[in-house]
Amino acid sequence: MVDATFDLALDSQARGESLRYAMRRIAIYSFLGVFALIYLLPLFVVVANSFRQLPEIAQNGLIALPHSFSLSAWPKAWAHYCVAGTCEGIKRNFFNSLYMTIPATIVSTLIGAMNGYVLSKWRFPGSETLFVCIVLGVFMPGQIALLPWAYILGALHLSNSVYGLILVHIIQGLSFTTLFCRNYYINIPDDLIKAARIDGAGFWRIFFKIVLPLSPPILIVTVIWQFTGIWNEFLFGLVFTGGTQQPITVALVALATSQMNAHPYDVASAAVMIGAVPPLLIYLFGGKYFVRGLTQGAIK
Amino acid sequence: MSNVLTASQAIQAKARRREMLAAWTPRLAIAPGAFASLVYVFGFTLWTLYISVSNSTMLPTYQFVGLKPYFDLWSNERWKIAYGNLFYFSAFYVAVSLAVGLGLAIAIDQRVRGEAVWRTIFLYPLAVSFVVTGTVWSWLYSPDAGIEFLVRSLGWHDFTFRLTTNRYTAIYAIIATGIWQSSGFAMALFLAGLRSVDPDLVKAAQIDGAGPARIYRKVILPSIAPIFVAVAVVLLQFAIKTFDLVVALTHGGPGISTTFPATYVYDLMFQRGEIAVGAAAAIMMLAALAVVLVPYTLWTVWRSRREAGHG
Amino acid sequence: MLTIKAALAGAVVGALATTAALAEPKTNLLSQWSEGSDAAAIAKLGEMFTAAGGKWEQTSIAGHTANTLAKLRADVVAGNAPPAVQLKGPEIAEWNATGMTANLDDLANKEGWDKVVAPELLPVMKPTGHWVAAPMNIHRINWIWGSTKAMEQAGIKSLPKTWTEFNADCDKAVAAHLICIAHFSQDWTDATTFEVVVYGQNIDLFRKAFVEGDTNAMRSPDMVKALKQFRLMVSKYMDPGIAGRDYDTATSMIAKGQAAFMIMGDWQIGIFTAAGLKPGADYECAQAPTDWGKPGFILNSDSVVFFKQKDPDYVEGQTLLAHLIMSPKFQTVFNQAKGSIPARLDIDLKDFNPCQQMSQKDLQASIADGTLVRSMAHNMTILQKYRGAILDTVTSFVNNPKMTPEEAASAMADAVDAQK
Repeated sequence: MVDATFDLALDSQARGESLRYAMRRIAIYSFLGVFALIYLLPLFVVVANSFRQLPEIAQNGLIALPHSFSLSAWPKAWAHYCVAGTCEGIKRNFFNSLYMTIPATIVSTLIGAMNGYVLSKWRFPGSETLFVCIVLGVFMPGQIALLPWAYILGALHLSNSVYGLILVHIIQGLSFTTLFCRNYYINIPDDLIKAARIDGAGFWRIFFKIVLPLSPPILIVTVIWQFTGIWNEFLFGLVFTGGTQQPITVALVALATSQMNAHPYDVASAAVMIGAVPPLLIYLFGGKYFVRGLTQGAIK
Repeated sequence: MSNVLTASQAIQAKARRREMLAAWTPRLAIAPGAFASLVYVFGFTLWTLYISVSNSTMLPTYQFVGLKPYFDLWSNERWKIAYGNLFYFSAFYVAVSLAVGLGLAIAIDQRVRGEAVWRTIFLYPLAVSFVVTGTVWSWLYSPDAGIEFLVRSLGWHDFTFRLTTNRYTAIYAIIATGIWQSSGFAMALFLAGLRSVDPDLVKAAQIDGAGPARIYRKVILPSIAPIFVAVAVVLLQFAIKTFDLVVALTHGGPGISTTFPATYVYDLMFQRGEIAVGAAAAIMMLAALAVVLVPYTLWTVWRSRREAGHG
Repeated sequence: MLTIKAALAGAVVGALATTAALAEPKTNLLSQWSEGSDAAAIAKLGEMFTAAGGKWEQTSIAGHTANTLAKLRADVVAGNAPPAVQLKGPEIAEWNATGMTANLDDLANKEGWDKVVAPELLPVMKPTGHWVAAPMNIHRINWIWGSTKAMEQAGIKSLPKTWTEFNADCDKAVAAHLICIAHFSQDWTDATTFEVVVYGQNIDLFRKAFVEGDTNAMRSPDMVKALKQFRLMVSKYMDPGIAGRDYDTATSMIAKGQAAFMIMGDWQIGIFTAAGLKPGADYECAQAPTDWGKPGFILNSDSVVFFKQKDPDYVEGQTLLAHLIMSPKFQTVFNQAKGSIPARLDIDLKDFNPCQQMSQKDLQASIADGTLVRSMAHNMTILQKYRGAILDTVTSFVNNPKMTPEEAASAMADAVDAQK
């Protein structure tokens, strides 16, 4: 009874509340919706243009509801288009990028994990300074590093080879991976490590039995970050490989920046989609781990 | 007698060796990676510093000439524009990305439905390379075939949207596109941070009668302050390295209005065969960075010392 | 004993000799011709190389020239100079000065290059008197292209011969609600149009300012006059969309008859052909306007430079490649596709586009009249650092309506002086 009276008295207030609540919900969803449209617009344009015929694109503009349909841009981009020196599309560049990115990502992640482990759990005099010095590398612009790397790769006889490029990406990636891993491992309770040491476990044992099993969130973050960064990198991929070893970013630039020829918008759009698929897939599947791992690492 | 002594000495020696090994294993494990990183960070910077006071033109040469390359650099109109653009761009880019990211995160945090969808929509631009982003957005900004063309073809014949063709507004096109690319990252971190705010603090503030805006300002935002810093650092390093985006979006134009230090360094070193001047420009870029980083590092050190002092 | 040793030694020497003789020519051409008709033209070179028994590889770098040069520098610094690189103009002399370039004199003398290559090109290809580069073509910069459709609509009978006629024709086009000049603003296109204006008004000014880099010439009243004409063209005869427009949109303005004229080098022929346009029916060509009434020619030339190699296969490949590049067959096939004319003067252009044939005739006349110059906008005269300073000023002038011709002239001179 009491409840019913209570409800009746609050009814008009409740209606006012629910109106305000509804308006707030509408405001929130509109805000998100408008931004979502802006964020999705380029994706829509690229996907749509990869399925439109080129003359129709030229006529109706780049952002338009498709008035034509054609699947031909995709096989052309993948295997037939004359770009970057051959008439075999971008599939070779795609695989070049894979052969380069996967090893570089894995190795830089593992070394970063090791670095993070040492710098957070096995501190020694100067380890904090060392950490800061390593992390400063995230700010290094590529243009500064280009000529020094050329010297080093030349001395190692690795220039113009995919192995040289992998080495470059590993070492440059160490700054990020160390940063992420160390900030994450700091949150592992020191007592856990101390207890293990008392039990007689050594450096390697603790790493493999305790730290690594706790690492998946940050390792996923690192892998996502590194894979995306290395896959999408243009300048070093261009300069340190040659001939048919060039990565996919070089082919994409060739398609997109045709200075003196008609833009093949349809093929370029298909190529962009093909080139974006691996990082997009990784973000799609790893998205939620990305957020989780980063916040556990970022809040210090 | 002697046997017992030798035995215990042997045990002690073994224990000492094990301790030394235990102390040195971590350092040895980190040594190769650390060495490579230090060569990369400091070796390359020192080399660039030396080249910036050398007589290098086409190829690096090592004759010392003093500060002449710096004077040459600063007498260039284009460099002054580029350096100014860097500060202007970085400030806007970082500040507005943080604001947009925070806004989106707060909105999603209001228990909206389909959170995974919203999150993916705002996060996917990070997966795209700056080259592709710049290229596709240059298509969209183009008056002949992009947004202006679209709106005009829908009937508004006087609509103009020409950010990239006007030398005063082109930089805003670059800022806006950069924000499009990176604010999802800010959103993701803020969202997780908002989720991890201590609910007791929020409840206490609600009981005290604070409205939602007050709660955000006084309770929630301060507790995620470290995230602001972390995101700002990541955004800042994107800003410093801005190169692919500018080249793909505006080619440094119209004219030279959107030239950036990274693009000018590249041009000086590789197109114009002016490696010493390019190195001087690169050192100036790092100097700009130091202006931000050095106070921040000092502040973190001071803060951690203060926290250690307070126990 | 002695006989066996001698026999062994002989066998070793013999084996080495055979290996050297069996060196398989191979090459890796570093260039910026990475897609479209450029790539197709280079592919032909590759076919010829393979047909002659060589192993063909190329590294085609997209985007701005700076990318190709960045790769070249990185390769040289790494001790891995490419066997063949697309380089031109003063860069040939600069790289030659590093001592890393290969000497082609033997091949050049055997095939008599000195006699058939255009004389203006010789000092570029032989910066210290020795052949270091093989020229692939000769481009003409000072062309004016007319849209047949637009000219009809505006009542323009023929392409203008002087700048006064040009301005009058443009006024007609503007009165007919057309855009007069199809342009897209980038540093090299703004510079191309401007150097055509300067050349057309005053050859001496061109020579002093753009070939010699004399900053007093840049400050002179003649330069201000040229800038005034340029300002008129940019503000009245071009449209506001020039910043951010791309090349093929500008071409389509001519094709569709939206614009009357275009000032661009002869590679435009290749682009028109690829778009299916025909000379006479869809477009007209003529020498860009000059105020001094004679045939004129602003020259640009693509060439390949060879760097010293240790691998004998690459050395063989360089000789083969240089020979092929200078061969009449390649010069014909390559230039027909690109719109330029051969670097050899002894090739019959009977199957070429009429505009290309006109180009060769004008080249001969220009040489005879002493009006031939090399292009500054296309990096054939002054060092890149001076050229870069001029290009920065010119493109700023185009995109900044408030910059006066006087300001631009002194800014240009100041910028070049700052590099000295």
